[in-house]
Amino acid sequence: MSITAERLDEVVGALQRALRPDQVLTSKTDRYNRTRVPAPFPVHRWAERVPDLVTLPESTDDVAAIVRIANELRVPIVPRDGGTGLTDGAVPLRHGIVVDVKRMNQIHEIDLDNRTCTVGTGINMLKLNEVLGGHGLIYPDNPASYPCSLVGGRIGTSGWSLIGSRYGHSRDLVLSFDHVLPTGDVMHVGDGIGHKISKSSSGYQLKHLFMGHQGTLGIATRATLKLFPKPEAELSPFFAFADYDSAYRCTGALARAGVATFAGAVLFDEWKVAYLRRDDEAYIPQPSDVKALVCAVLYGWEDEVRAGGKRLMRIARDHGARYLGDEISEGDWAARHDRYATPLHGRTKDGQVVPMSWHCEDAAINFTNVPAVTREWHAIVAELRRKTDVFDDWGMFAYTSASTGVDYLTEIDVGIWEQKLGDEAWELWVNAKRDIAAVALKYNGSISACHGSCREGEVDLVPQELGRGYDVMLDIKRTLDPNNVMNPGKYGLDRAYGDTTR
Amino acid sequence: MRERPEGDFDRALRQPFTPGMGDGVDWDAVPDEVAVAPPTIPGRDERTTEFLEQWHNASYNCFSSGHKFCREVCPVVQVTRNETWSPTAFHANVVAMERGELDIDDMAADYVNCTQCGACELRCPNTLFTGDFYRFRTRTVDVVKAVRALAVDRGVHQLGWQRWNSLTDERSHEPVLGETPVSQDHVRDWADGLDIPIGGESILFVDCEAAFYRTSVPRAVAQILQLAGYEFGLMAEQWCCGGPASEMGYVEQARRFAEHNLADWRAVGATRVLVLDPHDYISFTEDYPRYFGDDFDLEIVLVVELFAEMIRDGRLTPGVAIDRSITYHDPCRLNKRKGIWKEPREILQAIPGLSFTDVDRVTQWSYCSGGGGGLPIEKPELTAQISAKRLELAAGLEVDTLVSACPWSERPLSAAGPSHAIDVVDLHELLAESLGIDVGGSRGEQP
Repeated sequence: MSITAERLDEVVGALQRALRPDQVLTSKTDRYNRTRVPAPFPVHRWAERVPDLVTLPESTDDVAAIVRIANELRVPIVPRDGGTGLTDGAVPLRHGIVVDVKRMNQIHEIDLDNRTCTVGTGINMLKLNEVLGGHGLIYPDNPASYPCSLVGGRIGTSGWSLIGSRYGHSRDLVLSFDHVLPTGDVMHVGDGIGHKISKSSSGYQLKHLFMGHQGTLGIATRATLKLFPKPEAELSPFFAFADYDSAYRCTGALARAGVATFAGAVLFDEWKVAYLRRDDEAYIPQPSDVKALVCAVLYGWEDEVRAGGKRLMRIARDHGARYLGDEISEGDWAARHDRYATPLHGRTKDGQVVPMSWHCEDAAINFTNVPAVTREWHAIVAELRRKTDVFDDWGMFAYTSASTGVDYLTEIDVGIWEQKLGDEAWELWVNAKRDIAAVALKYNGSISACHGSCREGEVDLVPQELGRGYDVMLDIKRTLDPNNVMNPGKYGLDRAYGDTTR
Repeated sequence: MRERPEGDFDRALRQPFTPGMGDGVDWDAVPDEVAVAPPTIPGRDERTTEFLEQWHNASYNCFSSGHKFCREVCPVVQVTRNETWSPTAFHANVVAMERGELDIDDMAADYVNCTQCGACELRCPNTLFTGDFYRFRTRTVDVVKAVRALAVDRGVHQLGWQRWNSLTDERSHEPVLGETPVSQDHVRDWADGLDIPIGGESILFVDCEAAFYRTSVPRAVAQILQLAGYEFGLMAEQWCCGGPASEMGYVEQARRFAEHNLADWRAVGATRVLVLDPHDYISFTEDYPRYFGDDFDLEIVLVVELFAEMIRDGRLTPGVAIDRSITYHDPCRLNKRKGIWKEPREILQAIPGLSFTDVDRVTQWSYCSGGGGGLPIEKPELTAQISAKRLELAAGLEVDTLVSACPWSERPLSAAGPSHAIDVVDLHELLAESLGIDVGGSRGEQP
């Protein structure tokens, strides 16, 4: 416990005066189940990360009240939305109060004329789209965690979307939001005046600052989002290649083609194909001469998708692609959120099936550097595997981040056998994460394209990545959160308060 | 990375390979540099150790996945938005228990918050995409039942459930009428005037809710069977199926009730049991075979499937037009637990006059009445919220009637109906009406 029992009573008492009793939870299960996220977790050290209590606010006012109390009493606050992130943003490193926003899942407004909706940040995108679908609209923020992540978490991590090359990522799709600052003050932030404005040059561009801070600068409570027509047509051809190099070149050509309906391309490397061969259902079986795969995705009206699709099919053919047919193409893309990372695909080196958790390193890498980073990352994971069967290489994807093909979310998936984790294996992992991040920086890439970079190991290199910018981060943190109550311990920001020991 | 001479194994590790698929390397010859040690499990009582041994791998499969795709389809989470009561938490607690972080006293009360609808199991990527390859599926319902049973064994009771099961034990039926006693003397009252014999090859089993509360359902079923010329009888002494006790963790009692019912079926010469309630269908097709193994050789027939077949082959021809605008509520235990969704729709499509706005069975994974798993006994307010949400979805379709095929769902759904001016009707009642049968009986308290 970070706070004494006596102190805890004081905090609970203050919170119970501000909220209803059922909004303040203190039982062990309430706290233990708000300790982890899906990223590998040192399960042998679970108790170190358990919050002292949990709150379930239902409005911006509730959140502001909780934050004011925490700031006044100097108790850490950890915002928790879906709890589906992969960089521990929602993990309470210093215990304290978890602010779980899931009850703020109302749809406040759907503006059909300006094509926006305003929602509580506790809403899930799939559930939102079930309602928007009735109006022929879609909110196209589509991460791997689409069926369970929440709009607020997408703001806190500045999320990346699988179809971002067509529609943009969370930062482009969220127009503005209400945000509770670490002191409990409430701010509306967007471009300029915010609200439903998509582009303003008035004042500093604060919206980006308050996205992707991993909960260290406050809590978004209500957001206005940009909406699109629900696409009439979707085309997702899958192509097979006899070697990685051809697949890689093809991916680049597809991304550079400038097709307006292009929503993304995905490159599966040879390791990923070998991983998928572990289960005859995870990927429809392919002959052994298939070594790499590419998937391209187009969304839009049927006539424009058809035209764009023809062009991309021609480009793929010119690069030696074999089209895998409609069934695999449609089925695999439809199953994209469910299919690729399941604990049952974990294997020891000699082939024993063991339940492993999935972890994904997610650097942003320019196209020309993807092959080199791929090679070096696999070597790091091979070294881990040589040392112990706790780790497994689940292969790599490279996804286009933008419509021009400039950079790729470059992802290595690592299986971790949590049942067997101990201090020694955990240390190996943390060191490997640091090595993986160092490779990204060596090739002028960014440590993280989508998750954030505040986990053990990688976080050590964030000052190196940001340079002088990191000092600005420290200045901003100290200014906005004078008492370091907002998600303390993340991103090494304790340094803003003169603490260099952590 | 530290420099070291490169050997065959290193070279092999640097190539893509699929473990266990004949990569030509003898991995056993290379010991791990870092020992993989089994976790230390703190000492427990025998019962808890047995529980953990049975469930720890299944729980790790969920814990390690951490997908949480189950969350937004879970009826309890949808209304409470409380992660403590999510299917993920129900598995994670078992991992924490294994680690010595939680004990059954810490957990038991949370496991009330589950209707055992099975949505989470279907929505789990571990079930959807790898299940049959590994002969594995996520089994939240069984995990919840096992935790509840462990709690009862360890003397951790939920007061409402304890009382409910003790009254059931006393009266051989669930106390579905509240203060009004239910008893063996009245278990066949629903059949007044229908002239149904005792015993025979085929026995109609009528669950407690239908026998005492919504008596229109068994009356409809019995009269449809009679109209079709299907011979059947009733039990000499019918007791509760035992399913609710099993769902709430009172395993010994559940088994005792099952033994009684099986003995009664044998005594009256039954080879076939006709079932009208999805909850009983689960008991007889899942619990009873587990209790009795190969000795359980009775044929279990769900009357919804039988009636669909009778309509198909012309033994039943619904002819009376019913002027209602309906949608169908897939009962969780039929659709999600048993994959039965086609036959109810076949029956509805055969009834003339209905305007039927259907919602597909996969969308309905996230629908529930809140009436299952003992939830209404301990948390009636949650059941009411879940039912209200279901009615709201029906209201969005602009229908005047919600048809269900599960008596246990019909009470909470009916209670939520009036605020949307929607009538809640049982499928069997509707079919009987269309067959010109004057059903009689009671539809329970109609608000």
